[in-house]
Amino acid sequence: MMPQGNVIVTDVTITLLPAAPLYALEIWSHAHDVAKRFETALGFALPVMGRSAGSDDLCLIRFEPTVWLVEGDVGALPPILGEDGALTTIGGGIVRVRLSGPRWRALLMESGVFDAESPSFASGCSAATIIDHVGVRLHVVSDDVCDAYVPRSLSAGLVHFWEAAAGSLAA
Amino acid sequence: MTGPMITFTFDGKTYQAQEGDTLAAALLRSGIGLVGRSFKYHRPRGIMTAGVEEPNALVTVGEGGRTEPNTRATDVFVYEGLVATSQNRWPSLSFDIGAMLGLAAPIFSAGFYYKTFFGSAKRWMFYEYFIRKAAGLGNAPVEADPDRFSHRSAFCDVLVVGAGPAGLQAALDAAESGKRVILAEQDNILGPSLIRDPQDLDSAWIETAAARIRAKGGRILLRTTASGYWEHDLVTLSQRLCEPGQKPAKGIAQRLWHVRASEVILATGSIERPLAFAHNDRPGVMLSQAVRTYVQRYGVVPGKRVVIATNNDDAYRTAHALKAAGADIVAILDARPSPTGANGGFPVFNQALPVSVKGARHCLKQVSADVGGVTKVWQADLLAVSGGFTPTVHLHMQAGGTLEWDDAAQAFVPAMSRQNVTTIGGAVRPDPIFPVKPISNPKKSFVDFQNDVTLADVDLAWAEGYRSVEHLKRYTTLGMATDQGKLSNMAALGRLAEKQGVAIPGAGLTTFRPPYTPVTMGLLAGAGAKDAGAHVRRLALYDVHAAKRPIWQPLGYWFRPRAYPVGGETLAQTALREAKAVRTGVGMTDVSTLAKFEISGPDSAALLEIICATSVSKLAVGRGRYTFMLREDGFVFDDGTVWRLAENRYLLTGSTGGADRMAAHISYVRQYLCPHLRVSAVNVQEHYAGIAVAGPKAKSVMAALMGEEPPRHMSTVPAKIGGADVLILAASYSGERAFEIYADAAHAAAVWAACEAEVTAQGGCLYGLEAMEFLRIEKGHLVVGGEIDGRMTPHDLALGKMLNKAGGYIGASGLSRPALSAPNRRQLIGLEAISGTIAEGAMLITEHGGAPLGHVTAAAFRVIEGGSIALGQLEGGFDRTGEELIATSPTRGQTARVRVVAPHFYDAAGERYRD
Repeated sequence: MMPQGNVIVTDVTITLLPAAPLYALEIWSHAHDVAKRFETALGFALPVMGRSAGSDDLCLIRFEPTVWLVEGDVGALPPILGEDGALTTIGGGIVRVRLSGPRWRALLMESGVFDAESPSFASGCSAATIIDHVGVRLHVVSDDVCDAYVPRSLSAGLVHFWEAAAGSLAA
Repeated sequence: MTGPMITFTFDGKTYQAQEGDTLAAALLRSGIGLVGRSFKYHRPRGIMTAGVEEPNALVTVGEGGRTEPNTRATDVFVYEGLVATSQNRWPSLSFDIGAMLGLAAPIFSAGFYYKTFFGSAKRWMFYEYFIRKAAGLGNAPVEADPDRFSHRSAFCDVLVVGAGPAGLQAALDAAESGKRVILAEQDNILGPSLIRDPQDLDSAWIETAAARIRAKGGRILLRTTASGYWEHDLVTLSQRLCEPGQKPAKGIAQRLWHVRASEVILATGSIERPLAFAHNDRPGVMLSQAVRTYVQRYGVVPGKRVVIATNNDDAYRTAHALKAAGADIVAILDARPSPTGANGGFPVFNQALPVSVKGARHCLKQVSADVGGVTKVWQADLLAVSGGFTPTVHLHMQAGGTLEWDDAAQAFVPAMSRQNVTTIGGAVRPDPIFPVKPISNPKKSFVDFQNDVTLADVDLAWAEGYRSVEHLKRYTTLGMATDQGKLSNMAALGRLAEKQGVAIPGAGLTTFRPPYTPVTMGLLAGAGAKDAGAHVRRLALYDVHAAKRPIWQPLGYWFRPRAYPVGGETLAQTALREAKAVRTGVGMTDVSTLAKFEISGPDSAALLEIICATSVSKLAVGRGRYTFMLREDGFVFDDGTVWRLAENRYLLTGSTGGADRMAAHISYVRQYLCPHLRVSAVNVQEHYAGIAVAGPKAKSVMAALMGEEPPRHMSTVPAKIGGADVLILAASYSGERAFEIYADAAHAAAVWAACEAEVTAQGGCLYGLEAMEFLRIEKGHLVVGGEIDGRMTPHDLALGKMLNKAGGYIGASGLSRPALSAPNRRQLIGLEAISGTIAEGAMLITEHGGAPLGHVTAAAFRVIEGGSIALGQLEGGFDRTGEELIATSPTRGQTARVRVVAPHFYDAAGERYRD
């Protein structure tokens, strides 16, 4: 059973976000040319590794050297990519979980291996890491909000883990 | 000391403790000196130390699932309702029948087990019963631990281990220079040694330092022991969030920290050494600093008439502390040849060493000493001893550091570090001491208190030829108890060196291994302690299936429906009903777990023809084919289908069990072998939920769902079902006309509902993995892990004709080795039973007792006609059609006579796929 509703504890709130179209954007050739075309067409640059960039309609998060996770309206992207890259729909396999509140960083340290408590992991940063054996992609939305992109099959287990861990963060 | 009183019990009797007392302090406060019985001889044991090095005062704490045996009374702080029980005694602590073993001590010497318990295995089984009854101290709880454990990571610039004056100052300096700091202290207060020895710093300084560290964002962890030092400055800290046996306030009993530090500072201090003399293990013999700790920190005076034995200056502080607390110092036995300074008005005897003590139940009665060759005797209830100081270098050595010998201190101190770790404070500069050699009866002079090892045992090991300290350690079990030899190692090394006629460094050194103090198994398991340790992978359609109450089957980390029983059906009845429905009508099942990769870009076909051993590039848009993949050595490691969705876009499917392996393989090929290709390979296994519809009526079901003619076999089209966009692949695993429907997993429930409604309307039903297995075995389709077991080549599986003749695929070179196509290799065959039922995993033999020629990989029954059939691997199997063999499974107790047949029991020509 997928977890239903939100779990709110004192320090961190765990919210399942509604399903959304997500894409993997991969560039295999002429990366600089694609980046120029991208910035010209959309008004912002492709984010560098470990960062995100976007507009109200489109957000790109770079987790891999040649791959970006794309959220939003991708209508403008195919002509920008041309023969230099591709978009692949992947949203069905990912559950977005929002962690909000002052202790989301501490929660991510539970059975984690990534330094989510580092001050440099700030708004607009991203990371691909492992939490309690689950491969998770993180995107810092603001000081108090971090979105986690979790494999669908493992989302129920990981959310359950987070719910349990969140209740004892202060222990 | 004043403060709230706390009630606890020890061996069922109620006592009072002061808040902040350790159990040891509380017992001493109540006049309890006898706390336990020793491991081997059941000797009476009391409290020797005030820290984690305690070897004697081991008790069981807690009740039910929270029971924690072998807890050091010096390392548990009393809480209201604490229940403590002594161990290794019967019927009571004060009257222990096992103490009679002490009378037989001469025959329980080092190597007793090796010298006694030998002979046949049958005899060992007899010995084992008694050994197990006698072994161990406390008993492990039989109930499950009700509490949870946590693993948490932390990163910092500086990790300081130990919050004595040196550690506190180091942490403060680091924090105030802007570094991220973690300070770990195993006690429940900061600066415990400053309470014992205030020096020029006091509790106000401790509080101020802690406040400044916290103000700078530093993290201070109390009740936290650095249990291990690993590669790359990773240090594990085990933190107690409640005391042993106590119900945790927030559900978590302990937390294991994984701290990755840029720099580690060890301020771990040193541990005082005991002296070896006869009966030095009795209640009433304590370490000098421990006595001082009980006096200064807990306000407990462990004895009224005290003898102090020392070879250094530090013990004089204990004399002063005891005197101030009202105790009578009847003698100070100073091993040094002459007075070293002011004696403080105490009766000091130089060239003096204790040789023996006599005791009552809870304390001593008499201390005998050799003073310049003359034996003197004092009536005393406490003997405080100080044999010098052993720096706590465990973490330094675990980090790969080396040690050097400090002759003045007669101790090993940290030398070179191989990681970014520095040791500071008392562990670097232990106090100088005067070296002494034991002069008492070695048979009663203990060096390892926890394992009852005496000087005589060390001597015996030496006499029997054990020269290496590592061998001696294992032969005598010295240093191998839960205290890891914190008090015993140096004494044993000293004795060994004495025997060898060398200085202690020449005798060698044992290895320090994690954990520094015992760690609960549940803490290592963390949150996974309550389950298998990993999350179960749930199908996107889990809720849909769960509502139908299927029989679930674990498949890797997945759980999939094995069958959907109706009424009181058994698994076998259900599976057969479901399989028959597919053979005669229509059925549907969840195939979401299959591996799926979307390959895009102009070089997609080129990449696929490297990954797949079949040709791909000639596929027309909208068509698919069966394919398989080889390892570089030419063996098949997965199979699936490949579909051309568009000019430059393909979908590659593979097995469920091989999905993760395939993902890694494709990534390897893409990133390392073919970085030049213009292609994107994305794992879409979880993006698509998959539904298979199979059976003679499958086409009719699909036509109704799609509103148009469904694609022909091995063709693909996009469509809309249940309001959702889907991709339809016409492919069959069951042997019937069949379709796989792939939909965005987030919207798959609607697609499933539409399919189920139509399947039901046309008289069909759901089917699970068990029916699928019947169907595919009858059809002769392969499964990864069964027929494809990593040892079969395409030739062995009769797939050789499908190999891409142009070559270039991974495994092509390996496969060209002649041995991989030798005719006598194990090859895929079918089996049908002549008599009996074929068991999965059965060996194939020609006669009973003969060598196995192969085995059964999968067994089933013919779905419609009945009869036991199977797939298997058989040496030279292709040429053995018609041969009769025996399929025998001793583990299942099943034997059948079988005939070798082709591995296709159903529609070998594939006519049922075609319209």
